[in-house]
Amino acid sequence: MKRAARAAYWTAPSLVCLAVYWYGIQAWFQADDFAWLGLSAEVRDWSSFLDAMFSPRAQGTVRPWSERAFFMGFYALFGLDALPFRITVFLTQFANLVLVASIAARLTASRAAGFWAAVFWGTNACLAHVLTWSSAYNQALCAFFLLLAFHFLLRFIETGRRRYEAAQWVVFLLGFGAQELNVVYPALAGGYTLLAARKHFRRTLPLAAVSLIYVVAHMLVAPPGGTGLYAMHFDLALLRTLATYWSWTVTVPWLLTPYGLPTGWVVAAVVVLSAALVGFAVRHAVRGDRLPAFFLLWYLAALAPLLPLRDHLTEYYPYVAAIGPAMLGGMAMAAAWRRRAAWKAAAVLLAAVYLVIAAPGARAASKWLHDRSRRVERLVRGLQRAHELHPDRTILLHNVDDALFWTGVLDRPYRLFGARVFLTPGTEQKIAPNPEFGDPREFVLPAEVTARALDRDAVVVYDASARPLRNITRAYTAAFDYRVADAPRRIDASSPLADYLFGPTWYSAEANSRWMPEKGTLRIAGPTAPSQQLVVRGLCAAENLAAGPVELRVTAAGVPLKPVRIDSAGTFEMAFPLPEAAAGKEAIEIGLEVSRAYTPPGDGRRLGLALGSIEVR
Amino acid sequence: MRKTLPAILLAASLLWGPAACKRRDRASVQYTEEEAPQLATIVHAADPRTAAQFVSGFHDIEQNAWRWTAGRFAVVLRVPRGAAEKGAVLRLKFSVPEPVVEKLKTVTLRASIEGTGFEPESFTQAGEFTYEREIPAALMTGESTRVEFSLDRALPAGEIDRRELGVIVSSVGFETP
Repeated sequence: MKRAARAAYWTAPSLVCLAVYWYGIQAWFQADDFAWLGLSAEVRDWSSFLDAMFSPRAQGTVRPWSERAFFMGFYALFGLDALPFRITVFLTQFANLVLVASIAARLTASRAAGFWAAVFWGTNACLAHVLTWSSAYNQALCAFFLLLAFHFLLRFIETGRRRYEAAQWVVFLLGFGAQELNVVYPALAGGYTLLAARKHFRRTLPLAAVSLIYVVAHMLVAPPGGTGLYAMHFDLALLRTLATYWSWTVTVPWLLTPYGLPTGWVVAAVVVLSAALVGFAVRHAVRGDRLPAFFLLWYLAALAPLLPLRDHLTEYYPYVAAIGPAMLGGMAMAAAWRRRAAWKAAAVLLAAVYLVIAAPGARAASKWLHDRSRRVERLVRGLQRAHELHPDRTILLHNVDDALFWTGVLDRPYRLFGARVFLTPGTEQKIAPNPEFGDPREFVLPAEVTARALDRDAVVVYDASARPLRNITRAYTAAFDYRVADAPRRIDASSPLADYLFGPTWYSAEANSRWMPEKGTLRIAGPTAPSQQLVVRGLCAAENLAAGPVELRVTAAGVPLKPVRIDSAGTFEMAFPLPEAAAGKEAIEIGLEVSRAYTPPGDGRRLGLALGSIEVR
Repeated sequence: MRKTLPAILLAASLLWGPAACKRRDRASVQYTEEEAPQLATIVHAADPRTAAQFVSGFHDIEQNAWRWTAGRFAVVLRVPRGAAEKGAVLRLKFSVPEPVVEKLKTVTLRASIEGTGFEPESFTQAGEFTYEREIPAALMTGESTRVEFSLDRALPAGEIDRRELGVIVSSVGFETP
């Protein structure tokens, strides 16, 4: 192969992928990205750095390379410039495409098969989230580790050189830092050797032992059996979920094409493409060639850990798995090309059916995600600018809609630049509840506090539906209905706007809470119904529990409530029934008292309890 | 594969390099549309955004916190919402420094709005004080109003400073009752 042809061979799939996912490289941050970008703020010393890098986070995940180091490192270098993040994602994907081409070519002894495998995978619609949303980078990096480890396994099988086997082990072990899906590698390595290189099978068994240890350790940190979306279902739903993901893999997620192809046609394409791939695999299996079966095994193995999540169908879950059918398709394409014209025509037709459905679907999904991220950028950049212009004032966001809230507000991006932001009263009614992810009410400034803040010029109001963000403070102030009580039903203790509700012993509001010494009082609206409770959310420091549990005593309207014991450090949420005497009152006094406080070194304050929020609900 | 890695690294450096150079303060791009400036109901001496409301008799900001006044000084304040019905409370937070008391023994402060004077108050000791007067609703009808302050005596220019010195103001404003 001449040099130019060789270069084209390795780069063409990446260029095709880049063309399909061009919006991905221009995308900005959104949703979970801000939680990861905010990790840097938690780093104060070596110990907190290790904690930020390696402590389990959402759903007990520990992904130091693909999430912690990726976001903290790039944020330190580039701030809120998303382009370097996006370039990194695409470079990883390009490396993955080169590895797919290389592996498929080695396995099939056909360069054409490698080329087509990379093209088919690079245009797959299940890649959209991974290539457009930085938080899904863990998938791309996981694929990289899996493919690289498998590449070294093949090299070891080809050459017998131990260094390749050692490299496989190193990459495999490092892969656990990218994504938990790395546990499936022993199934890939074992499956391949069992089917196609049996004398090496036993050497893959220790890999399985490592995955087993990882699974046990992960279960100890994050016990399975979650609720809601993350609940696991081991029943016939597994097959239904598998069928759904398969149909997405060979066509497009949700079977939706951007040009409105009837679903029946897409289903027909699923049937035809599935029949072709499975038929090809069966035909080869009958002849004793089990390689196509390995490609299908790849799909099953890479998807298996995700199949029990019946209620959490996610477009990018088949990302790694889709490599299997892509290699199978590449092999089938190359095989057809060696046969009569009719086979060639059939192969071209099938490839065209796949590409005509998948590539536009991939591009449309990527554009949708890109547009959403750009909307979030306008909001976040606007808030950054508003904070520059009004550094001493709290920002109130008006007209935040459902989509903007869940992707641009929920993860509090404004904390990255120290702004205090709330939503205007009533905004929560425009946002569809989604308890799995958060409670919009926590982001709303109560009308009672808003009235007082507007009166004192302590807030600046921006219209989030305007482009760019528009300062509407004067119009909002003029239109606000000030016929509200003095005390709200919910108090965010971290807001200085609520200072007037707190008694004299409280310390100043901090980023997430407000500390009190042993005792503190505050005013809150009384319950409107006898069934309502007082919900207290806060934090108890480990230092305060060094000498044993502390008791929290609460009074409401002068009536002592049942004391509770706090015996574990960290955040807590407690609910207290309220006395009948408090019902219907415009405001009641709440007294909080902890049995012990401590003085942190170099601080000088007596710290008993940090209150996050308090609510009558 | 041996040639691929250096190629990827080269591509990365070519791609990341411009990205790093492009890093700039994007907040300077127009990401907000601001209202025309509005007068404040409370002005802090240290806040440069409300400097225009200290219309006469105020010297420059000192120590990023306060301003000396002359013997007569004035501010323009926005009338707070509801003040046209309920009236408002005028609050001047200031301090009388030791040298002023030493030289003048006593200073008397008086405020007036649109020619209506309010009860004066005398200060014979150094320290921080609040001059607070209720303003009737009848004087709070417009969007903004000018509040005049006067001291019965001040340190003449050239005595301990080249400027005439009265008191040190930290903030002045209206609040609704």
